[in-house]
Amino acid sequence: MISVSRGSRREFLKRTALGAAGTLMAPSIVRAAPRALTMMHESSFIPPFDAFFKNKLAAAYEKATGVKVNYDIVSVGGLLTRVTTAAENGTGPDMSTVGFNWAYLFDEKLIDVSDIAEEIGKDSGGWYDNAKEAVVVNGKWKAIPYANIGQLMNWRTDWFKEAGYEKFPDTWDELLEAGIKLKKNGHPFGFELGHGFGDNHGWLYPLLWSYGGREVEADGKTIVIDSDETARAVDYCRRLYKETMLEDCLAWTDVSNNKAFLSEQISCTNNAESILWAAKKDFPEMAKVIDQSQNPKGPKGRFHMLNPQAHAIFAHTPDKQVAKDFLRWLMKPEQLGPWYDIAVTYYQPFLHKYDDAAMWKVEPRNIPFRDATASAHLPGWPAPLSRAQSETIAKYVVIDMFAKACTGKSTKDVIAEAKAQLQQIYKTA
Amino acid sequence: MTVGDRTPLGRLLKLWLPLGVSLLFTLFPFYWMAITSLKPNQELYSRKVMPLIVHHPTLKHYVDLLTETSFLEWTWNTFVVAVVSTAISLIFGAMLAYPLARIRFAGAALVSFAIAATYLVPQPLLFVPLADIINSLGLGDTLTSVILTYPTLLIPFCAWLLLGYFRTVPGELEDAARIDGASRLQTLVKIVLPLCGPGFISAGIFAFTLAQNEFLYALIFLTKTEVRTVPVGAISELVRGDVFYWGQLMAAALLGSIPVAIIYSFFVEHYVAGLTAGSVKG
Amino acid sequence: MTAPSLAPALSYRRPAFSLGRWFEQPNVFSWLMVTPPVLFLAALVGYPFFYGIWLSLMNRPVASEGTFIGFANYVQAWHDPVFWQVVLNTFVYTAVATLLKMFGGLGLALVMNQDFRFKNLTRALLLLPFIVPTVLSTIAWQWILDPAFSIVNWTLVALNLVTPPGPSWLGNPHLAMGSLIVVNVWRGLPFYAITLLAGLQTISPELYEAATIDGATTWDRFRFVTLPLMKPVIFIVTMFSVIFTFADFQLIYVLTHGGPANATQVFATYAFDIAMTGGQFGQGAAIALTMVPPLALLILAMALYLRPDKTT
Repeated sequence: MISVSRGSRREFLKRTALGAAGTLMAPSIVRAAPRALTMMHESSFIPPFDAFFKNKLAAAYEKATGVKVNYDIVSVGGLLTRVTTAAENGTGPDMSTVGFNWAYLFDEKLIDVSDIAEEIGKDSGGWYDNAKEAVVVNGKWKAIPYANIGQLMNWRTDWFKEAGYEKFPDTWDELLEAGIKLKKNGHPFGFELGHGFGDNHGWLYPLLWSYGGREVEADGKTIVIDSDETARAVDYCRRLYKETMLEDCLAWTDVSNNKAFLSEQISCTNNAESILWAAKKDFPEMAKVIDQSQNPKGPKGRFHMLNPQAHAIFAHTPDKQVAKDFLRWLMKPEQLGPWYDIAVTYYQPFLHKYDDAAMWKVEPRNIPFRDATASAHLPGWPAPLSRAQSETIAKYVVIDMFAKACTGKSTKDVIAEAKAQLQQIYKTA
Repeated sequence: MTVGDRTPLGRLLKLWLPLGVSLLFTLFPFYWMAITSLKPNQELYSRKVMPLIVHHPTLKHYVDLLTETSFLEWTWNTFVVAVVSTAISLIFGAMLAYPLARIRFAGAALVSFAIAATYLVPQPLLFVPLADIINSLGLGDTLTSVILTYPTLLIPFCAWLLLGYFRTVPGELEDAARIDGASRLQTLVKIVLPLCGPGFISAGIFAFTLAQNEFLYALIFLTKTEVRTVPVGAISELVRGDVFYWGQLMAAALLGSIPVAIIYSFFVEHYVAGLTAGSVKG
Repeated sequence: MTAPSLAPALSYRRPAFSLGRWFEQPNVFSWLMVTPPVLFLAALVGYPFFYGIWLSLMNRPVASEGTFIGFANYVQAWHDPVFWQVVLNTFVYTAVATLLKMFGGLGLALVMNQDFRFKNLTRALLLLPFIVPTVLSTIAWQWILDPAFSIVNWTLVALNLVTPPGPSWLGNPHLAMGSLIVVNVWRGLPFYAITLLAGLQTISPELYEAATIDGATTWDRFRFVTLPLMKPVIFIVTMFSVIFTFADFQLIYVLTHGGPANATQVFATYAFDIAMTGGQFGQGAAIALTMVPPLALLILAMALYLRPDKTT
């Protein structure tokens, strides 16, 4: 058993090495091989979005070029595991969706796609600035962002009206005030404070930033979490939790607030467009009284969470040109436009060409998502992309700083603990 | 004492009450799964209606599960994977357990220590190097990849459990067989194995269940829909964004476990029969 | 087992030397049996394990070359307050869940060892939690533990004992661990009970009859007949349960993912998050490996027990 695996492993390594060398020296020879590409995606919240790629886009591309494009769906939360295995072992899909700071994490295993980005940007009205925040590593584009999945306030207009609010509160303080009234009326708030992937970061980071708090300076070294600004954000969060929310929020994962909202347990949460979508499908009456708004602003402004989705090409793909050609084709308005349309703004483009696209007219309540894109940042902002950023997320340093305050720990203690963790993380990074 | 056993009150206290509580605790979540899979979404999310009853039953979730996903294919894959990896694990487990239980041999302590140590290896630590091995062997996206890796989780357990059972077989039986001229292998196959049927069934049930439940390796090694097992298939295609397709997930849980439950009840029968035979012989 | 090594030689009517007799030697026979599985495990567990130890001594971010840093990852874990919370959580989770499963399982096995109608059906039904894929049954528990839908909360609210929505089973850091233990016991109890039942049924009824004739009470029979004979099976199932509960992943990952504020974070979930989400393989490996020493103590006890000394 051992000798078999070792032997073939060596052979395998040799083969890949030769393959890589061959690609560099004589791309045309390799390109003669049967051509097929595999694109890996997280299963979309909008099933037709996946189906459109599989049935329409892939078919059209095969017809036009003869290259077959497979579309592999990975479960939510499973994508990073799959990308890691593919990158570590140099096998598997040729292209994948990458999120957050993965372009940086997998830098060495992804190919430079700056030329495509430049061309697409020129053709499609230019990129949003923060698109680059996530995918440009050492001056090179390591992935082509195709969408942001924004996180905004989802709220019940009927219950807010009952409490005297026609519009969504503009500041965090007004939100707290509204929440107290709504909870009294039996309609508490529900914001995720647990260990999920998105809906916790979606409001806690913007809250921290809008009070002027930061984890680390733009130099990526100086830890500044221990500030009065952070303390004010933490104090606010504790009050919001105690005075407006359900106790259960502390353990919530991303699915919980959707469930609570749709079962009419809560009147407001922070989420992507999925609640309104699901309501329109199953609860048409409720859908009429749901609205979506930008996050409230704090003393230092209004912020949102950047949740970038980008396509990257693995360095192990046998023929880089074939993959690049496909990606360039995919990002052209003729393909990308209809693909966006299928998902009706669930995926918010990073290209200004689509700022006034027809899809924004389908559901005017989604427009805040477009307007929020420019003020969105990645966790760890304003520091540049780093491994420390991932570790901070993995250890839920900022989330748990807030959550611990909600369970009753003192502001001073929770900030001190977060600071100690950040110092450990940024030192070793 | 024996009189107390037979009175209705004694029966109630010693049998029906504990049994009833256990069954309630065990089966309530299944009841929940069943009603969830039959409720339309409007009812599922409604807090106004009593949640323990289905007011407007629908089979929509089942129909969607069977028509819109590859559920039947996943079930078949799961079955193949579980049967083959269980067989491998039982055979290898018995090969380890019998000598350890019955024979004094040089290095036995070392072997038993090595098996025990196998379980110290945390699964999250193994998967990166294992993925490397699997890919080097060209087994990515094949059922063979998990058929090979699941026994690493199952063999030590099978070996330990069988070891316990092998020891319960009276040594005199074996001695008698050996005196009659049977070889060690013959003694094992003809005398010991038939007496250890319950042990094999217990270990088999456990191995089979773990194999069909396993999630992490299946997630990593099986990325194509055609080769997925039920847990990974269901989670990949019925969890969309931050929305769960509750009804279909619960339908998958029930449909996925019913065939196995039937097989198990069949084995439970046989296992009782085997026991009676065993005790008569013993 | 000591005498028979001579006995076959006497009773065999075969040539003085044969492959068959060579094969009969204890060492030869045993090693021929154990070698294939040992090689299999060495390739698929041994190699990755040592690779993991190597990883734990490196600063090895995902998708890049590692650098050797000695024990720095372990030192970092030592100074990480979350790590110590993880240690405590894992011990509480393992100890409480295992004890509940052990006593509950033994009790249930004794109950089931009586004669009653629908015995086989009951046994099959009790195994159900064990059969259903864990990720999916855990999703059902997500509803059962939701205060708005939980039957316990409904009852408490209906009896006016609490104000709606009642206790938050996962949101309250103290209750959360208890809830996870309940789900773990729900899943693991049936196997305990069925395995112990199988053990109970290998005990010859004659032994009980003899004990009863000698005037033994039910408790005496349990203590002096059942328990000693069941010892091997109880021991193995418990060890196994400890190991599996200690390394539990799926259930916690789905229900709380270690929240609220790490109140339910355990070794497997923490190591997985650091290695996968955090992309720090070295650190993740080090944390996963710190599971080894406490478990090793248990394993040592088991290895002593397993040593084939006093073969009956």
